[in-house]
Amino acid sequence: MPLTNARLFGPGLPLAGEACTWQRDSGVISWPTGSTHLPSTAGAVRIAGFDLLGVELTWPDTRAGAKATWALQVLSAEEAAQVRAAPPSGWQAEFSRLQSSRHARRGRQVLGWSALLLFLAAPLLLLLGFFVLADDVAGWAAGKVPIAQEVALGDASFAVMKKQLQLRDASPAAAMLRALGARLTSGSRYTYRFHLVQDKAINAFAMPGGIVVVHSGLLAATRSPEELAGVLAHEVQHVELRHSLRSLIKQMGLSAVWALVSGDLAAAAGGKAAQQMMSLKFSRDAEREADAAGFEALLHAAINPAGMPAFFATLDKTGAAPPELLSTHPASDARRRALALRLEQLGSRSFVPLPYQPWPPAL
Amino acid sequence: MAMDVVDYEIFGNEMQYVEVELDPGEAAIGEAGAMMMMHDGIQMDTIFGDGSAQQGGLFGKLLGAGKRLVTGESLFTTIFHNEGTRKARVAFAAPYPGKIVPIDLRSIGGTLICQKDSFLCAARGVSLGIAFNRKLGVGLFGGEGFIMQKLDGDGLAFIHAGGTLAVKDLVPGEVLRVDTGCIVAFQPSVDFDIQYVGKLKSALFGGEGLFFATLRGPGRVWLQSLPLSRLANRIVMAAPAAGGSRRDEGSLLGGLGGLLDGDNN
Repeated sequence: MPLTNARLFGPGLPLAGEACTWQRDSGVISWPTGSTHLPSTAGAVRIAGFDLLGVELTWPDTRAGAKATWALQVLSAEEAAQVRAAPPSGWQAEFSRLQSSRHARRGRQVLGWSALLLFLAAPLLLLLGFFVLADDVAGWAAGKVPIAQEVALGDASFAVMKKQLQLRDASPAAAMLRALGARLTSGSRYTYRFHLVQDKAINAFAMPGGIVVVHSGLLAATRSPEELAGVLAHEVQHVELRHSLRSLIKQMGLSAVWALVSGDLAAAAGGKAAQQMMSLKFSRDAEREADAAGFEALLHAAINPAGMPAFFATLDKTGAAPPELLSTHPASDARRRALALRLEQLGSRSFVPLPYQPWPPAL
Repeated sequence: MAMDVVDYEIFGNEMQYVEVELDPGEAAIGEAGAMMMMHDGIQMDTIFGDGSAQQGGLFGKLLGAGKRLVTGESLFTTIFHNEGTRKARVAFAAPYPGKIVPIDLRSIGGTLICQKDSFLCAARGVSLGIAFNRKLGVGLFGGEGFIMQKLDGDGLAFIHAGGTLAVKDLVPGEVLRVDTGCIVAFQPSVDFDIQYVGKLKSALFGGEGLFFATLRGPGRVWLQSLPLSRLANRIVMAAPAAGGSRRDEGSLLGGLGGLLDGDNN
């Protein structure tokens, strides 16, 4: 079957080539003003065409003294496939070499494109990897921070926050808070400072380095000192377990990685530690951890841990708008059940009630 | 669709325009925004896509338009047809200093690969497509990117090149090494590849970059002496208003020389 879309380049032909017809069985290549013959001794074969789908056959001019080269190009994909499937006689070895070089090229191509894709996707992979490993990385990094620095960080953040808080540290309630806190935290490597704040919102929070802040609203909502002790024990464990530091590092790390990926370096510039600290939310794992460790801390301090689950119930009963404490401390049923279970395991153990009366204490 | 045979005349030296003469009923397509003037009797229509015959249906049109978007052309093509009874002319102007190159697609086998954004105008029936560069290295370092433009048909097409134009005919196996970015167009029979400059010192300090583009014959290639990006770069570098630094004409006084040359504003 003759190929009609071939193009021939050679001596005496236009430099841009001449459209020709190639009789594949006889090897005759003809164009409107002449014809030639494909030699049966092979020249060179290579891949041709911009889309790399064509083939090019080249052979030297056999006339005496001539140094020219002929080139026959078949650029249409179908015709080139026909030629490759049935190479002209004498050219088979060249074509099988072409085939293997095509395979090699394809291999290189796949490799190259994958490398390019990987390079382009690297920032995303980095981000993804950080998301997956964020907790471990943050935990590791938090372990590297000396306590003195943690304290400095907490103090600096608290100094900023203080301006918006109405501290009531001189009140008898604050003295009670400090006494209760000291009992819960004896033997800790941190020096704790407990602060009472005039605020109706039912909330309490801990900052790195040992600052625990309790709202007066929370104090008013508790029905016994044991309930308050439960909340304090929980918050103290956030400090002991370095939760705020860990999630701060995680957040800052994520925003740094995001800045790297997005190129928005302004987002990475720090100085927002205080704001971030206020809006810190701990993961459910961290809450569960603080619950469990807080429970043990209550036992260690010989305080009745029943106050811990009891305060959950108290919060439920008040039933009004969800208190802030719950929004930052998502109280799942699972958490409550875990605490109740732990309480059951304890069996009948008696505790001396906490001596603070009347309850709630005066501000 | 049968090609329209058009006569043309190119005016100007470094900033050219081409006047295409249309017989009654003939038409030419132009890149949107390239039209400079047209005689009475010529109707202008803006069509979605490239106006070539193969586009059937909305999907085909959208595909054609998408291709044009990828190659940096406008979504729309303007078609100029002579509805009068006499010959009439329409002129298309080059968008930046350089040369307008008329290429008879029939003489080169019906297909031309050219750098994107270089198309100016053509006889009706020439279709504009994309040619995707399958060689990774060429796409990354060849200076033309992965997407080039493909003109198909057998009529006249006009493309635009920056600076001065060089046309080279390569015999089979002949290799031309070209600075990346200087390639305007080539016949599809030409093999476009890249080559490492060869020496580390040249690569770093030679000013030619890490790679040459290589064009291997057979076939015809069109090269430009001044890619637009290079021109634009030099202009910005020399423009203090754009944050560039002044370049003085070799004065020993350097910056002070600027005070003496009377060219201050």
